[in-house]
Amino acid sequence: MRRSLAALFFLAFCAVPTLSFAQVPPRFYWKTLGGTNGAPLIYQSLSGNANPLDPAHVVTANANVAFEAEVFIAGYAKMLPLFGRSAMVALLQPMGRIAVDGTIAGLSTSQQTSGFGDPMVEFAINLVGPPPIKNIPDILRYEPGFSLDLIVDVAFPIGEYDEDKFVNLGQNKWYGRLGAPIVWQFGPWVPGRRTTLELLPSLWLFGDNDDFAGVTLETDPMFQVEGHLTRDFTETFWGSLDAVWITGGKSTIDGQSGESLDNLGIGFTAGYPLSESLQLTVGYAASVNDSAPDDLQMDGFKISLVYGWHKIIEGMGRLEDGE
Amino acid sequence: MNPARKGLPIRACRIVVLVAMVLVTSAWADEDRRPNIVILLADDMGFADLGSFGGEIATPNIDALASAGVRFTNFYTHASCSPTRSMLLSGVDTHVNGLGNMDEWTAPNQRGVPGYEGYLSDRVATLPQLLREGGYHTYMTGKWHLGKAPDKIPAARGFERDFSLLDGGGNYWDMTNVVSASPRLVFTEDGRYLKSLPKDYYATRTYTDKMIEFIESNREDGKPFFAYVAHQAPHDPYHLPRKWRNRHVGDYDKGWDAVRQERVARQMELGILPAGTELAERMWFVPDPTVLAPAPRALLGQKMELYAGMVENMDYHIGRLVEYLKKIGEYDNTIFIVFGDNGAEGTDLFKMIAGTPGTRDFLWAAMQWSQTHPKAWGDPGSFVGYGPMWAQVSMTPFSQYKGWLAEGGIRNALIVSGPAATRPAGSINHGFLHVADIMPTLLEIAGVHYPRELDGNPLPPLIGKSWVAMLSGETDSTRNSADWMAWELFGNRAVRQGDWKLRWQWRPYGSGDWELFDLGKDPAERRDLAEEEPGKLVAMVGLWEEYVAANNVILPSRSVFESLEDALPPRFPVEAGYPPLIYKRQFVPPPEMMAEPQEGSP
Repeated sequence: MRRSLAALFFLAFCAVPTLSFAQVPPRFYWKTLGGTNGAPLIYQSLSGNANPLDPAHVVTANANVAFEAEVFIAGYAKMLPLFGRSAMVALLQPMGRIAVDGTIAGLSTSQQTSGFGDPMVEFAINLVGPPPIKNIPDILRYEPGFSLDLIVDVAFPIGEYDEDKFVNLGQNKWYGRLGAPIVWQFGPWVPGRRTTLELLPSLWLFGDNDDFAGVTLETDPMFQVEGHLTRDFTETFWGSLDAVWITGGKSTIDGQSGESLDNLGIGFTAGYPLSESLQLTVGYAASVNDSAPDDLQMDGFKISLVYGWHKIIEGMGRLEDGE
Repeated sequence: MNPARKGLPIRACRIVVLVAMVLVTSAWADEDRRPNIVILLADDMGFADLGSFGGEIATPNIDALASAGVRFTNFYTHASCSPTRSMLLSGVDTHVNGLGNMDEWTAPNQRGVPGYEGYLSDRVATLPQLLREGGYHTYMTGKWHLGKAPDKIPAARGFERDFSLLDGGGNYWDMTNVVSASPRLVFTEDGRYLKSLPKDYYATRTYTDKMIEFIESNREDGKPFFAYVAHQAPHDPYHLPRKWRNRHVGDYDKGWDAVRQERVARQMELGILPAGTELAERMWFVPDPTVLAPAPRALLGQKMELYAGMVENMDYHIGRLVEYLKKIGEYDNTIFIVFGDNGAEGTDLFKMIAGTPGTRDFLWAAMQWSQTHPKAWGDPGSFVGYGPMWAQVSMTPFSQYKGWLAEGGIRNALIVSGPAATRPAGSINHGFLHVADIMPTLLEIAGVHYPRELDGNPLPPLIGKSWVAMLSGETDSTRNSADWMAWELFGNRAVRQGDWKLRWQWRPYGSGDWELFDLGKDPAERRDLAEEEPGKLVAMVGLWEEYVAANNVILPSRSVFESLEDALPPRFPVEAGYPPLIYKRQFVPPPEMMAEPQEGSP
């Protein structure tokens, strides 16, 4: 029984939010036992014509550049009941290397940077859906049915930033979003047969970067909808078809406005628990309507390992092992 | 020739003989006034499950029949399904009617012996056979379990229309059986063996739909009907449509002891049991639920949630049938008889069959019954039974459960309503009744005489007594204190006379010797009086010997219970609060005597 409990407990931490093109992985807003801790380590390899660590995805006008990023994101998340609802607090810290090559306004450029990006805090609370999971019987009984959460993300502009560089890990601006994740269960909630449609409409808000190569970068609010159709293949192996659509987010650099984004990306994710405490996911996503010069072009692979723990589950394990 | 037709000439001869013998003798014989009869048989439902018998399970439709009719608290079946069904439909003792043992457990020394065929013998007449010849339409839907051969199926034993499961149980949605040797359940419809099941088949719903269809098909001819709805529910596996599974989420986390206490309190309040009734001791190998962690309590409770859903789903479909009868104007002229076929099931049937790795049944289960995750419980590939702890709840306040001759194995809730039951509506009767009484009762109500012979051979006498006088209020009890009934199954034995009960059971459920109980004072069979009442013991054993001689009782040389003592932990008395080590709560000193530790000198 312990194994199945652990598996149930762990599902909600199969992945954590990342700052890549498809922002939040599938099955992220499934709920688990209050007090559960999760520590994600995510590796992403990203390519495109915008800084992948900037959720505004600013596509530079008159440029033909290619960004290449190798990014790790480490973090910590904790589930907790709050006001009688499920809630979660997560902290994510990106780090890694980004290189850019190409021409900007006719000038060749080749830069790279490395270090820490902007940390982000996410707070999520469930508004509609099952009651918070306070104990192991609640885990056994959990089914999302139709659940709706409210999330607030805030990124702190303390990542490494060099105003002389075209590419940076930090964004030198406050940004964040309000979102309403939806998990909609279809059919039975039996491991091996679970199917969900997950949607996350969100509104990104950006502060100004008043030192963007010596000028000011302003970014309009951006609306984003992420979708995942997830399905178990076996009791432990699952997959997801992912999509993200973004619109708005027009950037203005030193008074000169660019184009609003209107982009669609699709991808897939697969997940598998390596152990009762360690979840592996791999995925790929790419923009699809990206032929125009000002369109966002981006693709990337992602591998994540998330370690989850809870004192009750750990204790049960020790008892079972005879310690 | 179609095998199903082979028996027709013989049956035709019987019909001619029976027609000649049937006497329509009473006022009931008036075709305009003879009531319809509906027997609603639940499979493995317990004494205390219905709301009208103290259960918390919502059974409004069955309870409505109880409110309109009479509840009986001293009604006895047999300890397992086919023996009970055989007595219901023949009125004859199991050792005579062919079910001296279940077909599945016929002992070597019983093989080939008349009375132990494992199917309903053709030496007995059946209730539908006689009612049909008496002018009734006879319909059956549901579980038969009294023989599979063409001359043993419902159509050959008196049912004009049928949709029947011939096996003892299995999947509720398809033809998957539990054992690999007989992988497919066998069904008949109107005497033909089914190649497949109807689309959208779900046992409880389909049995109800078919019965309504049968009644409707002949409604215009004005003949009364006998409808035998032998539900598979709530027999395990607990297969249940999803929307019925979550009606009691968390209700049973409190554990079986608490639910039993709640039920017995309601039973006393309702008048089902006398004030001061003591609960039977919890089975010694069943843990005290209060010492269990929340997770196992929730998981074990979920099994009871499913069981409750099974009963509620069955009640819903019973309600559909009742509504249909009201709609066509037949309700007021219909006798309803509702009961469970034996005690609730406390044995893990699935483990018994498929629990040994390496066996073919284990492999079969892995392939066909592999949905073991709690979230899949109730699905077609799952096999959930609720175990001895909840079976004891279903049989509150009695001891033990199905398969045993303790009260928990054979005593069940009975409801009779309709034109023959003119005792005060909603009343409760505590008279000693037996399932074999139903045949003489219904024959009398239908004005049909039980013949002396069948095919020129003498028929065995009916062992039951008609309830007609009791149901009408002429008498208060069908039996007096000298009347007695006896049981034997799997080697377990029992006799009841008045309030006295003699019992012999395999160890460790029994003592392996005769035990004697005074059910009037001790319905939970907690105090063996064999040593205190030697005279009564001898007298009761005398009745047992009389029973053996009269019915050719052959104790089995092998029994399903023969090795149970080796498989179970040693039996010990179950006493609340023992050992104190795990029950005593945290000691809290008087607040005024609490102090911080005194720091010693360095």
